[in-house]
Amino acid sequence: MKLTRIPRLAITSVGAIAFLAGCASADATNTASSTDSTAFKPVTQDESATITVWADSTRLPAVQAYQKANPNAKLKIVTYDGSADGSTYLQTKVQLFDRTNEGWPDVVFAAPTDVTWASKPTGPKAIAFAAPLDQSLVPKQTLDNFAKGSLDPCQFNDHTYCLRNDIAQVVLWYNKTLMEKWGYSVPKTWQEYQALGEKVAKEHPGYLVGAVGDTNSHESYFWSSQCPAQELVKPDTLRVNLQDPKCTRMASLLDSLIAAKAISTQGFFSQGFDGSKVLMANGPSWYGQYLFKAAFKAPAGQITAAAPLAWDGESTAYTGNVGGGVWMVSAHSKNLKASTAIATWLTTSDANLAGAPTYPAYTPGAKAWLANPANKNYFATDVSSAFQTAADEVWTGWSNTRFSDATPWSSVVLPAITAGKTLTEMLPAWQEAITNQAKSVGYTVTTK
Amino acid sequence: MTTPTVNARAGRRARPLVSRLAPAAAAVAILAALLIFFVLPAVWLLLAPSKTAGQLVADFPLSFGSFGQIGAAWKHLISYQDGVLFLWLRNSAVYSLGSLVLTLAVSVPAGYALALTPFRGRKLLLTTTLIVMIMPSAALVLPIFLELNLFGLIGTAWSIILPFSFFPFGVYLVYIYFATTLPRDVLAAARVDGCTEWQLFRLVALPLAKPVIGLVAFFSFVGNWNNFFLPYLVLPNSDQFPIQVGLNQLLSSTPSFNPVAGAGLNITSPELALAIIISTLPVLVLFLFSQRALVSGMLAGSTKE
Amino acid sequence: MTAVDAGRQPALTGASQPRRRGNPRRRGGWSGYLFVSGYTLLLLAFGVFPTLYAVYLAFTNNRGQFTGLNQFIKVVQDYRFAPAFQNIAIYLVMWLLLVVVLTVVVAVLLRGMVRPGLSAVFRFLYYIPGALAGVASVLVWLFMLDPAVSPVSGLLRAIGFDTFAEVLAPADLPVIFVLIAFWTGAGGWIIVMYGALNNISDEVLEAARVDGAGLWQTAWHIQIPMIRKWIVYMAILAFAAGTQLFVEPQLLQTASLGRVNPTWSPNQLAYVYAFQRGDFNGAAAISIFLLALGLICAGILVTRSGLFTADET
Repeated sequence: MKLTRIPRLAITSVGAIAFLAGCASADATNTASSTDSTAFKPVTQDESATITVWADSTRLPAVQAYQKANPNAKLKIVTYDGSADGSTYLQTKVQLFDRTNEGWPDVVFAAPTDVTWASKPTGPKAIAFAAPLDQSLVPKQTLDNFAKGSLDPCQFNDHTYCLRNDIAQVVLWYNKTLMEKWGYSVPKTWQEYQALGEKVAKEHPGYLVGAVGDTNSHESYFWSSQCPAQELVKPDTLRVNLQDPKCTRMASLLDSLIAAKAISTQGFFSQGFDGSKVLMANGPSWYGQYLFKAAFKAPAGQITAAAPLAWDGESTAYTGNVGGGVWMVSAHSKNLKASTAIATWLTTSDANLAGAPTYPAYTPGAKAWLANPANKNYFATDVSSAFQTAADEVWTGWSNTRFSDATPWSSVVLPAITAGKTLTEMLPAWQEAITNQAKSVGYTVTTK
Repeated sequence: MTTPTVNARAGRRARPLVSRLAPAAAAVAILAALLIFFVLPAVWLLLAPSKTAGQLVADFPLSFGSFGQIGAAWKHLISYQDGVLFLWLRNSAVYSLGSLVLTLAVSVPAGYALALTPFRGRKLLLTTTLIVMIMPSAALVLPIFLELNLFGLIGTAWSIILPFSFFPFGVYLVYIYFATTLPRDVLAAARVDGCTEWQLFRLVALPLAKPVIGLVAFFSFVGNWNNFFLPYLVLPNSDQFPIQVGLNQLLSSTPSFNPVAGAGLNITSPELALAIIISTLPVLVLFLFSQRALVSGMLAGSTKE
Repeated sequence: MTAVDAGRQPALTGASQPRRRGNPRRRGGWSGYLFVSGYTLLLLAFGVFPTLYAVYLAFTNNRGQFTGLNQFIKVVQDYRFAPAFQNIAIYLVMWLLLVVVLTVVVAVLLRGMVRPGLSAVFRFLYYIPGALAGVASVLVWLFMLDPAVSPVSGLLRAIGFDTFAEVLAPADLPVIFVLIAFWTGAGGWIIVMYGALNNISDEVLEAARVDGAGLWQTAWHIQIPMIRKWIVYMAILAFAAGTQLFVEPQLLQTASLGRVNPTWSPNQLAYVYAFQRGDFNGAAAISIFLLALGLICAGILVTRSGLFTADET
């Protein structure tokens, strides 16, 4: 009967709600309830075991060179995408391996973002994938010889979980031929850069002093300006404050140059970008070979780099970093000796680094790289001092995070400035995007 | 009922010219517009390997570059990781053909039974199949991976072939085909004559089902050949990758998509285009050969209504 | 019209009335089970058990504890959930209309107005994009949509797009994805619809012509009702495929080097949960939402069209 149905329904729904309310939290926790996470216990070692090395296509020749130089080393080489373009292949595979308890590679080439999850267990029953290298695997001397701040993306819980393969310190690229032809002097401060840009726009319209449309342009500009867009103030607390003067100053600088059409809202790497109109570019050390030479096909002897720009009134110059890979050794490896050996050779030996495709993070190796003419004779002048200065000026306040910092920039800011908005007016939306991303991966976000 | 000698066009002659032509004009317009839509990008792709990366951007999009450039692109492709392209193609063939055989062996009888043999649970099977087809794969990958691992299949070709052989789309195709085209009374008559179900299937249904078998075989092969995500996730070694996963790796070695990639790898957009064309050829060749099967024939007139 | 529908009337053989349950014709029952056994095994292994496991995941957390509806609440509160479902809703409307209408129209045209040889050529050409998957589409559409390098740059500029970046404005994305999905998917469906139309015996079509029906009248009153099952099947699958939209937004995200939101569609969000955050439970919860959406549509279509009744069309 209708009358008895209602109370019955009410009772069952109240019961259901009460039942459901007592349910466990939906959040994923990764640490086992007994937190014994600091002690790293290697598995049973076997010094004759074959190790599996995962490299991307660009690093494959280096791994093959190691095999050739060490014929007795037992290597199984597997290629994968190296976490390029935001791929989460490594993270996915490690999670699956953690569930089945087997299959992990011993040595992998990855992106810095990978270290953020590899330094922690992926589930309640797992251990962290990356082995802490500073604990008796790699000597402290070696670790100290990496460029200042280059191992910061590897540092978690006071341990170093990876070796930096290369750094991409931001320098000021410019076309020396054109600069001399037009009688411009190379700017040393951001204020001079702005003035130059406005001058170029008037005197030689169509020529550019920069571009912001790339997926990582913000790292070249805002990181250099020490903007606290993602500053890890505590292990899980991120400071995101784009209204900080150090952010707004860069935003207005860029806006004025965009308005003057001295800076393009397109990306340098967009199809059909006219590289011959690029007078200057504030970008990473690899721009030399991969942007100017390979993409723009600028003739040799025209392009060179200057040390990073400082701000008037600040004594130290800081710069940004756009990329750089890492090598990790697996905590599950049965042959840590061999694994560490190859990882160390790849990141610190002159034999490998002198011919590396990009600027090595290991300082002695970088010297060898700079001594190799092949890395420099494309340029108009010796870029060594610019590169070396910049290598030690990378601002350490732009932290390595569990989310890709390119996503908020590319999917929120870039479409907006393409549609005509200014960077200054997009700062709040950008901040919100970063904040949302950060929160969704578990960070606490603060503006202080 | 109908006088076979009546000329079909006789009925149309009476209608005015305009109303006859208008549908024809509209038809031509639709077909032509769609033709351009579907074919133009493919033509572009076909022409791409003949140009250099710079020419792709600067020259007229549908221009032909040079044969020499195609040769150069080919050389670059096969020297990538020492000819791993062929290994990938071979893997794709193994996975796709292996699962094709299994798919047909399993799906055709199932579709037949679902359409024409009454048994308990028929509707349940159909409903379950439909639900499973609608389930998004993101949630299914982990359980499938765990299952494959449970049976020790990870790292073997079976870890790809078995999941590929599960082809509910094919079962439904066969089901609908048999349900709509096979006349009941033929089967009824045969059953009365004392045929077993198996004989019925083999001697009556199968011969008539050639078109749908061709259809299922084609879609199964193509679906598996083009499948990216399962092999990407489940295969531990890059030398087991099928061509689609390999193409993805090629993509991440192309400077257009990954600027620092490829010091000396020489993989640019034309090489990528060539690799894509090579990977698509088997599918297109198969399509050409199965044209007759794909155009289902008429019912052999076994019954009169 | 004419009651010529193959299989419409179950034949009475006279000997025994066919009964649906507990039938005396055990022969039919047993072989039925045998015939479906292979498929059923695979269905259980790769369909049912994973789906049940996914359902289990959606109601638990990664420590195996029961969480009730908390996983669902958690994903709904994710700031990307609502936009993703909004996006997919817009996409689905456009996609379904386009695919159902256009593929049937094209199939009818190819069957009725074009000679068989020529129609085979057309079908081959229409199908070609369907053979291009994943990476192929990335490369092709990167160039097609970029006014600087595209063969149809004139068209793009006429619409008002001068750069690739402008083409990718968020408001245009549903249309672009529908175009790409149609480009790759329609060819296959045209083949299926054509095949279905081809099964209609010529006698029927002759009769219609004699009665004075033109192409469209024949199509509307005879052909389409006769291939109703196929159309419904296509609609269900197109809807389901639409809810699971993943490849197109993902590939455009790669092609545009990040300018497209990486969680544009709900399925992408599910993948992010599963493979970036390792939160398979959240991914399962999102998938259940998508499943529910697909099931509602399927349910409506199936019951209204009688897709499952084998004895009548």
